[in-house]
Parts: sequence; C-alpha cells; structure tokens
Amino acid sequence: MRATPVRRSWVDLRALLVLPAAVWLLIFAVAPLVMLATMSFWTSSIFGTTPDFTLDNYWVIAQNPIYLQVLLQTLRIAATVTLISLLISYPMAYFLTTLPEGKKAIFLVLLFLPFWTSFVVRSFVWLPMLGRNGLINLILIKLGVTSQPLEWLIYNEGATHLGLVYVYTLFMILPVYLSLERLDPKLIEAATDLGAGPVRTFLRVTLPLSMPGVLSGCVMVFLLGCGAYVTPQLLGGTSGMMFGNVIAPQYTVTNNWALGAALSVLLIFVIFVCLVLFGRRVRLNDIFLKV
Amino acid sequence: MPADVASTQAASPAQYGGRMRALALGAYAGIFYCFLYVPIILLAILSFNDSQTIGLPFRNFTLRWYSDVVNSPEILKSIVNSVLLGIVSASIATVLAVLLALGFRQEFRFKGLLMKIILLPILIPGIVGGVAELMFFGYGNIPFGVWTTALPVHVTWVLPFAFFTLFPRLHGLDRSLEEAAADLGARPFMVFRRIVFPLIKSGVVATAMFAFTLSFDEFIHTLFVIGSQRTVPVHLWTLLSDQMVPFLPAVGVVVMAVSMLVSLVGFAISARADSGSAQQSKTR
Repeated sequence: MRATPVRRSWVDLRALLVLPAAVWLLIFAVAPLVMLATMSFWTSSIFGTTPDFTLDNYWVIAQNPIYLQVLLQTLRIAATVTLISLLISYPMAYFLTTLPEGKKAIFLVLLFLPFWTSFVVRSFVWLPMLGRNGLINLILIKLGVTSQPLEWLIYNEGATHLGLVYVYTLFMILPVYLSLERLDPKLIEAATDLGAGPVRTFLRVTLPLSMPGVLSGCVMVFLLGCGAYVTPQLLGGTSGMMFGNVIAPQYTVTNNWALGAALSVLLIFVIFVCLVLFGRRVRLNDIFLKV
Repeated sequence: MPADVASTQAASPAQYGGRMRALALGAYAGIFYCFLYVPIILLAILSFNDSQTIGLPFRNFTLRWYSDVVNSPEILKSIVNSVLLGIVSASIATVLAVLLALGFRQEFRFKGLLMKIILLPILIPGIVGGVAELMFFGYGNIPFGVWTTALPVHVTWVLPFAFFTLFPRLHGLDRSLEEAAADLGARPFMVFRRIVFPLIKSGVVATAMFAFTLSFDEFIHTLFVIGSQRTVPVHLWTLLSDQMVPFLPAVGVVVMAVSMLVSLVGFAISARADSGSAQQSKTR
C-alpha cells in the first residue's frame, strides 16, 4: 500500500522531462511565428518596421496581381511535382519490396545516399546537366539532334519541376515503401487464388492498402514544394519562380519586413487550407511516428 | 486429371508474365538510380576538369580546384563553422530529444498540443521559418552570427527529427526492467544510467549523427540568421549567386563527401543497434 503513492509521484515527475524541449520550442519555434503574424499588421518604411495595426500589407498583396499569380503558380507546381513524384516513386517503392533482405538494405542505402547531402548541392547538380555546356546538350549535339546547344533546358518552369522532383522524391518513396512493406502477402496470394489477374490484384488489393503511405508522401512533398526557394531560384529563372522567391527579396533587397510577414502568413494560411481540404484523412502524427 | 493439366498450363504463362514484370521493374529501378546518380557523378567528374567554365567537354584532369578549396580561407572558415555548429547543435538537440522522449512515455495534459508544437519546425515552410527567426532575433537585438542566432535555429530545426528517430526506440523498451530496478530501490537517475541508457545508447549515437548531418546541410533558416558569417551551404550559395567560380563543383563534392560519410556511419551504427536488439528479443 505504501509503495503506490511513491511510484505515482515518480511517474508524474518523469513527465516533467519534456519541459526543457517544450520551453525551447516555445521560445524559438512558436514565438517567432507569433511575431511574424503580429508583424504582418505593422508598417515598414525606410526607417524600419514600426508597430501598428493596419491591413495595408494585405491590401498591397490583394491589389498587385503578381502575388496572386505567383501563389497560384506555386500551388500548381507543388501539385504537379507531387503527382510526378508519386508516379515515379510508386514503382520504385514496389521494386524495393520485391528484393530479398540483404539486397534490400544495399538498395535502400543507395537510395538514401544522395538525399543525405545539402539540397543546395542537390539542386546545383542540375546546372551542369541542363546548362549550355551541360551533359544533355553534349549528348544531343553528339547524336545530331541539334547543332546548337539548346538554351531552353534550364531557367524555366520545367527545370523547377525537375529539380523539385529530384530533391523531394525520397519523401514519397519512403512512406509508400513502408506501407507496401506492411502489406500482408497472404492477401495477394488470396486474390490470385481467387482468380484475379495481376492488374486486378494490384488495383483492388495492393493500391488501396498502400493508400496511407501514398497520402503521407503526397502531403510531405506538397508541403515541401510549396515552401521551395532554393531550387526555383537556381533553376527556375523568371518564369519558374515560386512564392518563396517573392518572400525572400522583402528581406534581402527591399527590407519590407511587414510585407514579407504578410506574404508568409498568406503562404502558411493557403497551405493549411489545402491540407485541410485534401489531407483530412492523413494524421500528421502518423506520418512522422511511423516513418 | 484435367484440372491439374489446366493449372500447369496456366502456370507457365503466368510465371513468364511474372518474370517479365520483375525484369521491367528492375530495368525501371536502374533508370531511377541513373536519374539519382548521373548528376552527382557528373559534378564529381567536373570537379577534376581543367576548364575555367563549369561544364563539358572534359579537357584535362586537374586537382587545382581542390587546392583552391583548401587554400581559400573563407571556405575553410565556413567548414570549421559548419562542423562546430553541427557538433554543438546536434549535442544539445539530442539531449533535449532524449529528455523529451523519456517524458513522452508518460501521459500528461497538453500532450497532443505539445506534439503539434514539435511538428511545427518541420511543417512550417523553411523560408517562412527563416524570415520569422530573422525578425525575432532582429527585434530582440541579438547580434547575428554562428553562436548567437544560428545555434538556436539549428537546435530548433534538428530537435523534432531527433525526437522522431529516438521516440520509437524508447517507446518500444520493455518497461518491466526499469520497474524491477526501481522496485529494488534504484533512484530514477540510476535507472536511467544503468538500464535505459545502455539500451538506447547506439540509438542515441545514431540520432546525434543524423542530427549532425541535418545541421551540417541546413541552409534556408541559416541564410537569414547568419549575418555576415558563413556556414558551408550559405557560402556555397553566395558563390553560386555571385558568379560561377570554376571551383564550385569541388566545393560541392567536399560538402557531399562530408555529409554522406557521417550519414553512412550513423546509418551503420543504427542498423547494428537494430539487428542487435532484434537478436536480443529473439533470444529472450
């Protein structure tokens, strides 16, 4: 009887271990975002940014069609990048599940390896691929397809797409692979025994059961795509610009912090709405704890 | 037996189709790996190319871009900054993550809310996080630099990933060992030191190394809070935006080599830890 209350207080105290990290995150993750939201109602001038309560920044955004245009372009690019990643990653994830254990480990490491480096480098590697003196142009000229190096391979929306798929596709492969791994092979055997062909088995059994992984991957890639800055800046030129490339100059060029804050709030808000609309079935906790 | 005959007849085209599918899948995987690796291999080749412009054709083999990298004080300084920052922020983040994961095994109020807060640094687009931190430190009159602003930003960025790698390991631990130790009179810290920590040690090491690479590669948040100092990715970025200096591929290869190496070692450690604990649970 005496042991129980002692044990209980010990258990309760152990929950306090979360405090250092919780306080840390409140200061360095939550407070800056609160500040960002507050500042979007302030006023920036050449003398700096001063406290205020005005909707002027949002009004500026609403009046200038370029912001809306780039925002829509960003959502569109993020959506197509998500779709392309899904289409190229699914067979890859499926391939991994067909491998025997030893080989699987090797292929997984080979898959991870490029993603273990800075994505500045990972975006930058496409410059010598697509550029004027790039590998693609060299091959095309050698093959006689073109006599002059093609200039339109880079600095456009297509290059932005390619770069983003390259940079983020692991975030699609991984959850799809994990959901395929969890799939009970007996179900597939059962479908085959019952006379379903491979296509039918895939469409009726494998695909529906891998949907959680597919959704997780789509949410991750879409989120990352919406916040892209480095890849479109390096590869996209002016036509392949995304919303991140509109936010950054408010800090690096014009010093209009209040407008930058309003643009950031808008981006977070739009992403949040998209997630609520399309990703309601995905519980974010699941994505991270299972991956 | 007609049924048997039918089934053997049906089996061979099915097997044939299966083999064709496996072949097609393998070929596809080959193309996919080419897509991943050709740009990287090209960059590595170009880092040895004796040409003032980055690109093909390959003229002559040279090591001078690497000697440019080694002899550039700015690059060396940025590498030192990145490595030190990586070590310190990975250590802090790992300690915080271990404590957090230990606490998370208990039920407590606001647990769901705290989970959402932990997810915040991952879910908020990098650029938004970066400018928010810029304004936060700017208004707090904190001087921008590696240790004043970049360090807390890196710890914040790395902490959620460290937590999500550690938590499943801690969560899966058999609680009865700890309870036994506690019943035998061990104080909580002793239980942690003698029971819990030895069980999660390799997981902690792997997490710390993973945290190091995340910090070493972090770019977007750092760009906005680093001020006039440089980490490797930020320095690479300024080189990229200024002009295409010919030693860029060499810098890229060096950066890649460091993070790939540390990640591989970390991966090997965690894989060994996993197989070790799997064997333990098998023998038990």
